Parts: sequence; C-alpha cells; structure tokens
Amino acid sequence: MPTIEINQPPVKEQKVSDANIIEVSDLSVVRSGKMIISNIDLNIKKGEFVGLVGPNGSGKTTLLLAIIGLLKINSGSVSIYGQRPMSRILNGKIGWVSQAASNLPQEIRLTVRELVKLGTLNSTNMLFWSNPNQAQQIDKAIKMVGLEDVEHIDVARLSGGQRQRAVIARALASNAELILLDEPLVGIDRSSRNSLLKLLDQLCHDEGKTILMISHDLAAIRQTAHRMVYLEEQIRFDGPTEEFPELEKLASLRGINPVHNHDSDNGHNHSKEEE
Amino acid sequence: MGVGMFIFEIIAPMLEFISPVIPGEFFPYFFNGKLEMLQRALVAIIMVTIVAGFLGVFLLIQNLALIGDGLAHVSFGGVAVGVVLGATSPLTYALVFSVLAAILIHEMQSRELLTGDASIAIFLTGMLALGLVILRVSGGGITTEIHSYLFGNLLLVDEESLDMIAIISIISMILLVTIRSPLLACTVDPLAARIQGLPVRAIGLLFSIITAAVVVSMVKLVGALLVTALLVTPAATAQLIGRSFRSCMIWTQVFGFSAVFGGLYLAAELDAGGGSMIALFAAVVFAIVAISKTTFNFFIQTNEN
Repeated sequence: MPTIEINQPPVKEQKVSDANIIEVSDLSVVRSGKMIISNIDLNIKKGEFVGLVGPNGSGKTTLLLAIIGLLKINSGSVSIYGQRPMSRILNGKIGWVSQAASNLPQEIRLTVRELVKLGTLNSTNMLFWSNPNQAQQIDKAIKMVGLEDVEHIDVARLSGGQRQRAVIARALASNAELILLDEPLVGIDRSSRNSLLKLLDQLCHDEGKTILMISHDLAAIRQTAHRMVYLEEQIRFDGPTEEFPELEKLASLRGINPVHNHDSDNGHNHSKEEE
Repeated sequence: MGVGMFIFEIIAPMLEFISPVIPGEFFPYFFNGKLEMLQRALVAIIMVTIVAGFLGVFLLIQNLALIGDGLAHVSFGGVAVGVVLGATSPLTYALVFSVLAAILIHEMQSRELLTGDASIAIFLTGMLALGLVILRVSGGGITTEIHSYLFGNLLLVDEESLDMIAIISIISMILLVTIRSPLLACTVDPLAARIQGLPVRAIGLLFSIITAAVVVSMVKLVGALLVTALLVTPAATAQLIGRSFRSCMIWTQVFGFSAVFGGLYLAAELDAGGGSMIALFAAVVFAIVAISKTTFNFFIQTNEN
C-alpha cells in the first residue's frame, strides 16, 4: 500500500483575489465519438495554485487544451480573463510548460538564454529585430527560476530539473500571469522535484502568478497546491488540498459510490450519481 | 540585366581579386574570370550554399532531413514533364511541382494523415517514377540534359538559371531571416508557440514553400540526387560542435563553404563531377569531425577517471 507523505502545507497568506481568471461552465469534449470530459464547471481565481489530478486518460490534458482553446469543445463555454480562448488580447498572458522529457527536440543546440528569448515572442512582435524590453524580460525570467549561472549553457547539457526550470522561464518570459503545466515533474529526480515545487510555490506567492498544474504525482502536488481538482471524465473532487481524500478513499471517487463533490468557489454542490 | 547577373557583377571582381592565391591548376579558373561560365557556377553555388545552410539547421531540428531529398526527386519529375513538353525552362515546372508537393506534405503531416517520413517517401518515389515514365513514353530517355538534373552540372548554369537561382536565394534568405525567431519557437515547442499567439501553421507552410524553392534552385547545380548533401550535412556537422543555436548557424556556413571550395577544388583538379565531389567532401568532413569528437570525448573521460 503506497503511503503519501504530506509536508506542511504552505502557511503563507494567499493573495487570492475575487476575480475569476478561468471560467469554465458545463464543458464537454467528444473526440472520435468518445466522451473525454463532460459537464465540467471550474472557476480559477487570480493567485490560486490548482493541482489537476486524475488517472491516465482521465482527460486532464484535454481539459487544459480546451481551456486554452486548442481543442474544439462540443458544449459549454470557456473564458480566460473574460475573453474567448486564443483571443489576441491573451497574447503573452498565458505560459505553457510541458514535460521536461518531451519539450525539446534532440538535434538542437540552444542555450538557456536563447530558449527563454523564444518566450518573449508573440504575434505582434515576432518579426521585429528586437524589442527594447526583451533583454530585461529575459533576465528577469532567468533570475526567477535561478538559472543565472548557466544561462549561456546548451540546454541539452543541463540536468532534467534545470531543463524544466529553463522551460518554465520560457513560459515566464512574456510576463505571463497564468502558468499552465502539463506533468512538469515527469523524468525529474526527487531533489530537483522538491526544488521545482518550491519554485512554483514562490511564483505563486511572491510573483502573484496563477498556476494550474497537471500531475499524476499526488504526493508531490499536494505539498504545494492550495486546491485540488480530481478529474475522471467529470470533476469528482474540487476543494482545498487539506480536504483532499487519502489515497485509499480515492477509490470512492472513482465511480463506484455516489460522489461527494465539494465546490468551494461558486458554492453550488452537485452530487453525481454514477451509472 | 537580371538579378543574377547584377549579383554576379558585384561578386566577380572579388573572386578575381583573390584568384592569385587560389591553389591548383584548374581550380583558379573558377575565380579569375577567364571562363565566365565557371565564375557563374561559383557565384551560383555560393548563394545556394548560404541559404541551404540556414535552411538546413531548421530542417535538422524538425527531423526533416530527408524532405530535401524528397522534394528534389519531385523537382526531377517536374523537370521531366517540362522537358517532354518542350519548355524552355524546365526548372519552372520543377518549382511548381516542388512547391505543390511541399504544401501537400505539410498538410498531410499537420492533419496527421501520415507521419513525416511516409509522406515524403510516397512523393519521392511517385514523382521520380512519373518523371521516368514520361521520359520513356515520350521516347526521350535519359539524355545529357536529364542526366545533368539528376547528378548536377555546374557548367550548365546560363544567365537565365543564374537569375532564377539568385531570385530564389535572395527571397528565401530575406524571408528566413525575418521569420527566424518565430520559426525557431514553433520548431522547439509548437504547442507553447501556439499558446503564445504565434501563427504556427502559417509559419510551417511558409517554411515548406521556402524549402521547396531552395531545393529547386539547387537541383541544376548539385543534382537531384545530391541536394541533401548541401542542405543537411553542413548543419549536421555544425550540430556536433556548436554549443548554441547561434554558433551552430555560423559553423554551418563554415562547413558549407568548406564543402563547396574543397569539393570544387578536387573536382577541378581530378576532373570529377562537381556536385558529387562537393557531397563527398561534405560527408568526409562530417566523418572527420564526428570521429575527432568521439576520440576527444573518450580521452577527456579517461583523464577524468
């Protein structure tokens, strides 16, 4: 029986404002005739650190892609900062971090600085030779993730943890306020994992970033996230991390028993009877 | 006067200036202007090498090293159709065929109908076969002209071809330099690039079209079968020793030029084919660098232990 080690949850005061950054209501996505996610209601406020968990194939990445507008949604609505997803106004507001193992091609020599620089591009500035704030933005992003010492080193020579920090810096370089992470801890050793989580915690508390992170590493994510969302086609748990059930009780969320669905944000509970 | 000759008039005096220090018995004729035909060939191949190197770095990262080969075979099919139809400039047909194929391959890949390699392989063999069938049916067969498109013939660069090569090279270079940053962003992480708001599809399509055009400009010089040598080998060699994207770009040009000058020197002195000698030289340089690097790393590691 695997045990979950729980470190002390962050005691710092959360700077969560009332404004919803992400508003998802009644979202469903069907792909090749199969329902991937359905009836999703999810609101995320500025400054929150939300952990999105669930078994493989439960639709976590699908939900993330639907939120940013890269997947066709079949019903429901999504808005980010009050805008439709992929709207031009959102340029630079959202940073995306994918798995360290898969986020860089093999045949490339790219220094940390060159990689982070790519994050400053958007559809309006991409063809300019340089923009005045670019160097500053790059410096700031590299400093935030603590890679100043290796900024001129080829990314391929870095450790998995450092490489993931570099990718996070790329996401931060546009001054993104909302950081989305898809399994950022995969392929990263334990000590780097903890320092990465600490970094994300700092970004949330000190820089006021809003973080939505997918991970199947429950032990890791509940160390840092304020709020947990358990997804398995539908949202089966949504609430503060402290109330997230222990692993053995998770079975009760997995479609066997009626589900306790705690929705702390919009205050409406919707218990779901299972098929 | 066309663009090609305009550039020729600028570069030719420079070549003549350095011609006294050029070694060899026949190689200096590429520089000294006594045979304008050879000088023209050198100018053409210099332009093509610069663009091909720039393009090659991106092709390599995208794992599309073989697309150059595929498009070159498609161009050959186009050339064959042009020759049979009696076109004055078969390369125009090649350009149309190559660009269309590049767009189709790009669409097939981005719609995930076929993976990269398979779609390239289908176009490569399909269009090569079309070319050969058309040539045979029309009764022409593999003439000297056709032969020169397959294996390249530097001596067949007339003013008209030089113009076409120059126009393609200049436009491609301007476009590539303009889109280099977003192109790199799309190559490194397409998903992140889309979320940043970059037009990933449009950039990919533009890149495919540029590749197709550059390949066509190379077909007459180094030959359809050998295009990949200048497109990919210098970039692959650079990737062995470069430590940043910028340094890879610079090393690619160094290796590209070394292949062209080394290959042409040997071709001139040994009376071998220009295109094939360039390709061979590039491959040998790659082998030397790869072996040196491995040996070097081996000794570094043994010293450390």
